[in-house]
Amino acid sequence: MAVQMYMLTFKGGFNQDASRDVQRHVRQLGGYILMVTPNGPIVAIDDSMAASVAGHALVDGMGGVTLDPRGRAAKHLEAIFAGNLSRQISMPVAESFAPEPSEGDKYVRRSRPT
Amino acid sequence: MSVGRDLLDVPFPQMIFSMAQAIAKSQLALDKSSINTLQMLAKTEFDWIPEITEVLYPKPIAITSANAPPNTVVTGVGVDLEVPKPTKLTLLQAGINPTFYQFTDSTILVKMSITSTTSSESSLDVGVDVSVSADFLFGSATVSSHVNYHSANKYSYSVTGSSELSTTLKPVPPPQRIFPTFILVDATNPAAVKITKS
Repeated sequence: MAVQMYMLTFKGGFNQDASRDVQRHVRQLGGYILMVTPNGPIVAIDDSMAASVAGHALVDGMGGVTLDPRGRAAKHLEAIFAGNLSRQISMPVAESFAPEPSEGDKYVRRSRPT
Repeated sequence: MSVGRDLLDVPFPQMIFSMAQAIAKSQLALDKSSINTLQMLAKTEFDWIPEITEVLYPKPIAITSANAPPNTVVTGVGVDLEVPKPTKLTLLQAGINPTFYQFTDSTILVKMSITSTTSSESSLDVGVDVSVSADFLFGSATVSSHVNYHSANKYSYSVTGSSELSTTLKPVPPPQRIFPTFILVDATNPAAVKITKS
């Protein structure tokens, strides 16, 4: 049981409706959308769920991929993946967390050391 | 019916051949899938901005407050941001590689259970009846005997078997002959062009 990255392609080529439908299916199975490309999305999903995604009526191909950290734009891709993941993962708020009291619009005199 | 004969009857060569054939077919299908993914990655482009240039320069700020002395100027910094047009880069160039898989360990486990029982049962019943009668002039006697012999032999022989095939699939680095070689020609300095392969 391990989460792996896959690239998906669609029957009859890419189209928005198919892409949305498959992305929703991946999310329902606990997977994440890392990037949407003109040919299909790159997703991360537990390999035990991969067969269910591959069996979707609109999915034509599903191939495992890996990110080579020495790739020319690996950092850029990592940033894209991280940005998309952050929109899909909701972090539980710690109970003990309490925001610092705000000073509101109170005037605060600040001095800069000279 | 012999245990040795039954063990010899297990079709090991056929089982191993069938398993090897199944593995070879699966390996071919996996390789084809990985090559399709490789082609798709090589065709899929995205916009890549390799570098953004920021130029810092002095930009004095004139203070316009009435409370400040006239013509007061403080230091400041201006920033010129230069974002070049995005470059089209394929996902393969960018660093996304297809995963190739390989079957490593394969095991065939055959379990056989052979039960052979033989039971033999026999019984012997022997009896003698004697009757004697006596009269005034004659006497008579009769003797009868019987022998009952009962014999039963029971044989039972059962063979049950099960087989288990298991194999391990592992991701491996892409085969070098399939994976393209990237040749980078660095002509930023025309006097010393560098060519590197990766």
